[in-house]
Amino acid sequence: MTTLDQHVGTRPIPNPKKSLITKLNAGTGLIVGIIFALLTYRGLSTVLDISVYELNNRVLLATMFMWSIGFLAGIGAFIGPIRWLIGEDLTAEEQLYMAGDGQGIKRYFKYCTDHKVVGIQYLWGVIVLLAVGGAMAMMIRTDLANPGGHFITPSVYNSLVGLHGITMIIALIIVATGPFGNYIMPIMIGAADMAFPRLNALSWWVLFTAIPVLCSAWFLGGIPTGWTAYAPLSVQAGPGMNAFIATIIIFAISTAVSGANITATVITMRAKGMTWNRVPIFVVGATLSVAMAIPAFPTFMLAMIMTAMDRSFLTGFFDANVGGTGWLYAHLFWIMGHPEVYVILLPGVAILIEIVPVFVRKPLFSYTSAIVGFAGIVGLSFLVWAHHMYMSGWMPMLNGPFMVTTEMISVPTGLIFLVILGTLWNGKPWLKVPMLGVYAFLWNMLVGGITGLYLSDVPADMYLHGSMYVTAHFHYTLMGAALTGAVAGLSYWYPKMTGHMLHERASYISFWLVQIGFQVLYLGMFIAGAEGQPRRVVDYAEQFATSNKISTMGAYTIGIGFIVLLWAVIHSWRHGKIAPMNPWGAKTLEWTVPYPVPLVNFDTPPVVTSDPYGYGRSAK
Amino acid sequence: MTNSNMTAGKRLTSALVATALSVSVVAGVGVVLHKLSADPNGTIVATKEADTITINGKVYPKASLTMGVYADKEQAKADGFTGNKNDWVQFGPSNHLVLPANTYVTMTIHAYDGGEKLNNPFFGKVVGTVGGTMSVDGIDVSSIPADQVQHTFTIHGLPSTSQDPLFVNIPLQHVNADENDEFLPTKDPNTNFKGHTMVFSFLTKSAGEYVWNCEYPCGDGTYAKFGAAMSAYGYMSGKVTVTA
Amino acid sequence: MSEHDSVDLKPTPGDRLANFYKRSDVIQSTIFGVIVTGIFVILGGKFYTKWMPTVMSTDMKAIERLMVVFTWIAAPVCGVVLGVALYTFLNRHSGDTQPPDGPATRTNGPIVLLWSVVTSLLALTAVVYGITELNSSSIASAKNAEDAMVVNVTGSQWVWTFEYPKLGVTSHELMLPINHPVTFHVNSVDVNHSFWPVQLGVKVDANKVAETTAETTPNKLGEFDVKCAELCGLYHAYMETTGEVMTVDDFNNWVVAQGGHSA
Repeated sequence: MTTLDQHVGTRPIPNPKKSLITKLNAGTGLIVGIIFALLTYRGLSTVLDISVYELNNRVLLATMFMWSIGFLAGIGAFIGPIRWLIGEDLTAEEQLYMAGDGQGIKRYFKYCTDHKVVGIQYLWGVIVLLAVGGAMAMMIRTDLANPGGHFITPSVYNSLVGLHGITMIIALIIVATGPFGNYIMPIMIGAADMAFPRLNALSWWVLFTAIPVLCSAWFLGGIPTGWTAYAPLSVQAGPGMNAFIATIIIFAISTAVSGANITATVITMRAKGMTWNRVPIFVVGATLSVAMAIPAFPTFMLAMIMTAMDRSFLTGFFDANVGGTGWLYAHLFWIMGHPEVYVILLPGVAILIEIVPVFVRKPLFSYTSAIVGFAGIVGLSFLVWAHHMYMSGWMPMLNGPFMVTTEMISVPTGLIFLVILGTLWNGKPWLKVPMLGVYAFLWNMLVGGITGLYLSDVPADMYLHGSMYVTAHFHYTLMGAALTGAVAGLSYWYPKMTGHMLHERASYISFWLVQIGFQVLYLGMFIAGAEGQPRRVVDYAEQFATSNKISTMGAYTIGIGFIVLLWAVIHSWRHGKIAPMNPWGAKTLEWTVPYPVPLVNFDTPPVVTSDPYGYGRSAK
Repeated sequence: MTNSNMTAGKRLTSALVATALSVSVVAGVGVVLHKLSADPNGTIVATKEADTITINGKVYPKASLTMGVYADKEQAKADGFTGNKNDWVQFGPSNHLVLPANTYVTMTIHAYDGGEKLNNPFFGKVVGTVGGTMSVDGIDVSSIPADQVQHTFTIHGLPSTSQDPLFVNIPLQHVNADENDEFLPTKDPNTNFKGHTMVFSFLTKSAGEYVWNCEYPCGDGTYAKFGAAMSAYGYMSGKVTVTA
Repeated sequence: MSEHDSVDLKPTPGDRLANFYKRSDVIQSTIFGVIVTGIFVILGGKFYTKWMPTVMSTDMKAIERLMVVFTWIAAPVCGVVLGVALYTFLNRHSGDTQPPDGPATRTNGPIVLLWSVVTSLLALTAVVYGITELNSSSIASAKNAEDAMVVNVTGSQWVWTFEYPKLGVTSHELMLPINHPVTFHVNSVDVNHSFWPVQLGVKVDANKVAETTAETTPNKLGEFDVKCAELCGLYHAYMETTGEVMTVDDFNNWVVAQGGHSA
């Protein structure tokens, strides 16, 4: 694509000739990363006998981390800090160069500090992850189309389940805060860039290095554990498990970096006059989401470090034979795991709440309720983790209290519904593609929420735990609500990010294919779960055949729907209708800047005098 | 920014081609996975025999099948089985058994490995054979002590409305360390080393799909010794297809 | 909610309420809401009883009833949400231009309050109902604990085995006498499993070293499935077996046939 940065004509392209940073890009990163990895592997395997289980794990883990470090060194991630350490900080010209000013498409392959470039990098990263994860889902559903498990072996199936899970979890965690949190959010709050532009580049490129590591799991024998990676099964697992462990540790670093950056940006860099009660709701949702991730992810990282220790040094944290316990893992995992689903959900919901007033042409109903709802969800999400462990036998006495906290989450969630319904009421919604997502959300989140009510209840969970019913439930919340929100956000902000409208008919077709396929798929899965089919099984008994066949048909429909959307995204990127500056008539700040968005976003820093929801006939 | 005037027809074609292409890429990946998941050594089909046997007043045709279990690839090769990819403990000559339905199946397993102790002593019992026994080198037994087992051959399956249950458990007598000085297996009784031969018979019912696996912890170096060969499909695990 | 006609008339709250009921959007939303609620009430009564397997214990009966009641609790919520959603969806603005601006309602205190109170009460109902169920089932199991038959359940990668310590029997199938309380002592010899005799409505994880227990009293003759509900590696899917609830005589015969001594 050709980008006509409007500043190119007025300002010379910075060219700090002697600086190392001009010579580095993803290519050099790849080369240095591979060299580091190869040297580590060859070096360590001469001193450690890789036919021994724990020694092999050490070698593989070290190789994966060295790949990541090598790539970051090769792309120039450490130049800034090192120059600062030796007292020769980057010159203004070098900093401008790192922002990628006027470098066209090349800057997308560099350690570029411009938040808009990072946003696009995240967008394509997410698209690739979703495509890979989606393809794996198709394989899973193909295997389950008929009883007998003839399509693939149990080892391949278990790997598919685990890698589909983790790929989608990573994709969904970044699906809204990555592209839109980086590209749109700083403009939305009237900032020139993120608070820490170099950390912003770091968060993306660190995440990028996790992708090949995750893929390497396939070539190391896969993973048998599912994405929950319960110990001691994960301790027993083969070399592929190292790829999973390394991926999580690398990803947790990326999340921490990006979480700190987004939080700092929103706290310190809001436009003049943007008081806390005037912050757009998407910004609130995204910030709360990453703020929640900051304490949550380190526990997952810790759990993975302990798993790695058990595997590489035979420490026995999770080995009951030597005094450890698998429950420790389960706790660490779910203390991350339950906030994590809201890390995924909040930004998606916030996008939809952002969209509703624009398309209904009414102020957001009860802004305060939305904030209270979000805050309530964030607060409670840290107190509910053990509802995943009702049946673990860990401490049945505490099942009651965890049931109470879990069911209380329906109250703040109810407020979110109220905000959307209150905004819809008395309005005539303009049913463009983003707005359709709001309706899909209302239905999907309702189903996800109600089925969550059964699952939060201990006696009912006694039956449903570990069954396909659970799988269907969390797909309703994560995919039906969060991903729907992100896709709505894509069609909403696509004009600002690419300068073109997303192909409308294709988006409609995609929307209906995906949503109808979705209902069919998970209706089948709810039935299978109620009938008593456990989740994560490569094969099932004859009596589940019908419900599984229904599910597989739904899955294929979704697959085709998303392919249509992918076509629309690629096609419209260059050939779409040229977008006006503010195609939806929205009042948030990102619609006040032209496309291409200037390097520092605003020629004059904006001043905010009201919240961005002042729609309606007679402002009170 | 190029603002091409793509015609509606061209656009539709591009969309359809792109969709077809993507679908075929995913389908291609599926085909590759399916191919990679094929049983590495094909199937072993039970040999049907001419005579029949009467049990509890019912006449069954007979069939027979022979397998070996090897400590590693080298042992497998010496017994005429090229072996699986990794140099692990493994069953041969294939992990996928095909048996006729409603038949008296006699299986012979030559087992050449050593062993220590079962995780779950239950699997020292002979279960599901005709008469509840098997013969170890010609002597009938109904169980093997949990610390004298080298592997087990355990058939089980999903309880299902469409197939009869089939559960068979055969513990395989281990080879003592001092018997093991001549490494390679042979069935010639005059040589220094030979493994043990387990012979047992069981009745298949109607057609169905089952699995078998080993219940002896032989994934050395892994947690509960159930990793490595135990958790990789095709070494100490496989399928049993009963055909009508 | 009727700001758009309240500008000049300043009607009394009573008038506003009366007008509110007559508004076509209110009437239509209410009709949709009632229909949706009705659908969910019927669905709640039918869906689970249709798809869930045979009830073979009081625990399973309680679970099934709970699923039905929870759907009924949720039905009015679905009615409100989908009633409003359906009405506005059908009353949409079509075309490529923006719709006209709606009324500039920023919030409505009483509605927010009412909504919060009602959702809290519904959540509370669910909590109280669930806790009561939980409590009554643990009281029942405590009462049965003394004369219960103990079965040691062992999960091994990928087969369940059952030991009846008082009867001297081990088996790969779970046979139980009818109307006799049973306590499962569940263990694993390797990774985590989850012991799930489906039709009996109990489930508990099998962990290494840390024994877990579950109690139930089967009350219907027939076969049931025993599954593993926690991913446990290669053959997790095949870690299933059958069980059967038998008459006491049949059970004793089975025990003797297995070489045990009858109870």
